[in-house]
This record gives sequence, structure tokens and C-alpha cells, in this order.
Amino acid sequence: MEISHSVKERTIAENSLVILLQGLHGLVTTVDLRDESTATGRVTNVDAFMNVRLAEVTYTDRQGAVSHLDELFVTGRNVRYVHIPDEVDIRATIERQLQIIHRVRYFGGRDKGRKEFPRTKHK
Amino acid sequence: GGAMSFLKRFPPPAEGVRHQQPDTEAVLAGRSLGAGTLYIAESRLSWLENSGVGFSLDYPTISLHAVSRDLTAYPWEHLYVMVNAKFEEAETKEAPLAEGEEEEDSDDDAEPIAEFRFVPSDKSALEAMFSAMCECQALHPDPDDEDSDNDYEGDEYDVEAHELEQGDIPTFYTYEEGLLHLTAEGQATLERLEGMLAQSVSSQYNMAGVRTEDSIREYEDGMEVDTAPVVAGQFEDAEVDH
Repeated sequence: MEISHSVKERTIAENSLVILLQGLHGLVTTVDLRDESTATGRVTNVDAFMNVRLAEVTYTDRQGAVSHLDELFVTGRNVRYVHIPDEVDIRATIERQLQIIHRVRYFGGRDKGRKEFPRTKHK
Repeated sequence: GGAMSFLKRFPPPAEGVRHQQPDTEAVLAGRSLGAGTLYIAESRLSWLENSGVGFSLDYPTISLHAVSRDLTAYPWEHLYVMVNAKFEEAETKEAPLAEGEEEEDSDDDAEPIAEFRFVPSDKSALEAMFSAMCECQALHPDPDDEDSDNDYEGDEYDVEAHELEQGDIPTFYTYEEGLLHLTAEGQATLERLEGMLAQSVSSQYNMAGVRTEDSIREYEDGMEVDTAPVVAGQFEDAEVDH
């Protein structure tokens, strides 16, 4: 999963827990949807708006009927919960994702590359 | 039989069409609407039957979409689209259902749901159709997003575009250099923003810490600014500490 080319999306990710979901790339994850259906599949993309793309999905609709979908895209608005897999170290995942963002931001070292200035509220 | 009253005649979208798939059947809640062309455009999703009538779906109303190749669930490989709205189904009711109106035999107490399936005759196109829809959906983020932290003021600073035109030159100017590079439009914007700031200095609105002389850089990169006073050159050698 690529880091977004959008400054705005990188900033949103860095300042919200979407960054954790982005760290689940490649992991089999269950997403509970707003209409009480659920989808379990491998995360292939999560964007800053929490739109989630899954592959090889087992989808259980709100009536309980099960089907298999090759790929599923659910809009962020319709995501109720994302079940973080037990084996995921949440803190390490967030730190790793932050490092990836910072590599993009500071590529080329000081005074070169992209200068994006995050909010410095949290210290 | 009765025609679906939500079907209308309209010209196919001309702009921003990311993918177009002819010879595609549209199915609503298990009822076929016929064969036509699916247009996955940036503004909306449209399907037009070969006779020229069809319908459009707005991306904000689409909850999810998927590629289904599970023939035990549905006998043809298709693009599944779940919409947060009600569409009239033929022969059951006279008047179109208002959004949110309940049906007796469904348990959608909270939300109206309509299930569309688009069955292309060319099954190999499903990947491209799916991806085009993902791209278009991403163009329509939820405006009702409650998370106010996502509200970043100002224009997005397009780093790539700026770098392309600058080559190896650093992408940020000092204030003085920046003034020299302003176009007439940029100059007008600067004056307008300074005027707004002058008016709002005493207001409660959260623009604290922004000073006109030093603030141009913050406006350019569109980031929310810390409440600490800004000093010229403050960020030039920033080591970010989180």
C-alpha cells in the first residue's frame, strides 16, 4: 500500500488513527459495517477517509447470508469497527507508519525534498 | 409489466469518464433492467440501457462496491453496488418510495438499501470496473465526517507540481523571495488574506498565532498552525519531534 501522494491525506493519516488501519496492509481483518454486515478479508488499501479495500473477502450480510467477494471497497462512512488482529502490536505499527510518512517528507535530507510541517500540538 | 419509474432518458456523461463498459446488464434487487452501458465517471455512476433510458447513482450514496465471482451466491460474475437509498421496484407500488420509507417485508428499520449488480458480458473487465469505482469514490469523501481534525484550512500545497516546476530549487521560499514570485493573482490573494487577518485579530475564531508578516508560508502549505507565535524562519531547520 503506497503512502498517499497527497499532502492533505498524509497529514490526516498522521494525525488520526487511520494511520493504524493503514498499518494493517496485507493482514486479514474483519470490518463491521454500519448496517451490521461484516466483511473479513486481506487489507489492500486504507485511505485517509477510512475507505477500506479488502481482497478475498468473506462477506456476511445483515441477514446473515454469507458470500465470497474477490474484492470489496467500503466507504469510510460505512465502517463501524475494524477488528485489529490480535497479533498486531498497535504502537509499533503506528510508529512504523509514521516513519514511512517521514521518509517521504524528509527525503533528500534537510533543506531539500518536501517540506510539510505537521501540527506541533502534541509533544 | 411496468417500467421502473426511476429510469430516465439522459445523455451519457461526457467528462471524467474513468471507465465505460458496454454490453452490461443492470440488475436491481434481482430484477433485470436490461442490457446497456455502464459509465463510471468522476461525478456519478450511470447506466444507460441500449434504448437510451437509465439511471445515475451519486457516490456519496454508495456504501460499498465489490467484485463477486462466487457463482453459488449469484450465477454470474458481476460488480455489486450497495446504495443507501430506495429505488422503486416494478409493479409493487404506484408512487416512488420516499427515501427511508419502510417496507413491510424488509427489516431495514434504520437504513434504506438498494442492491445493484452490473453484469458485464466481458467478465475480464470487472477488475478495471472495480478500480475505476474505487478511484471515483475516493473523490467524494464524506462531508459529514464528524472528525473536525480533518478540517485543514487553506489550499492543499501540491508538492509534486511545485517541485516539477522548480527543479532542484528548494520548494519553499523565504517571505521576501516569495513576494517576488507572486503572480498578480497571488498578490491579490495575499492582500485579501491580510485584510481578513487584520479584521479577525480580535475575534475568537481559532487563527491564533498567525501573524500577517510571517504567516504566508503557513497559508501556502495549508496546515493548521500552532498557537505559539510564529517567528520568521522558525521552520527552516525543523527537526520534527513527535
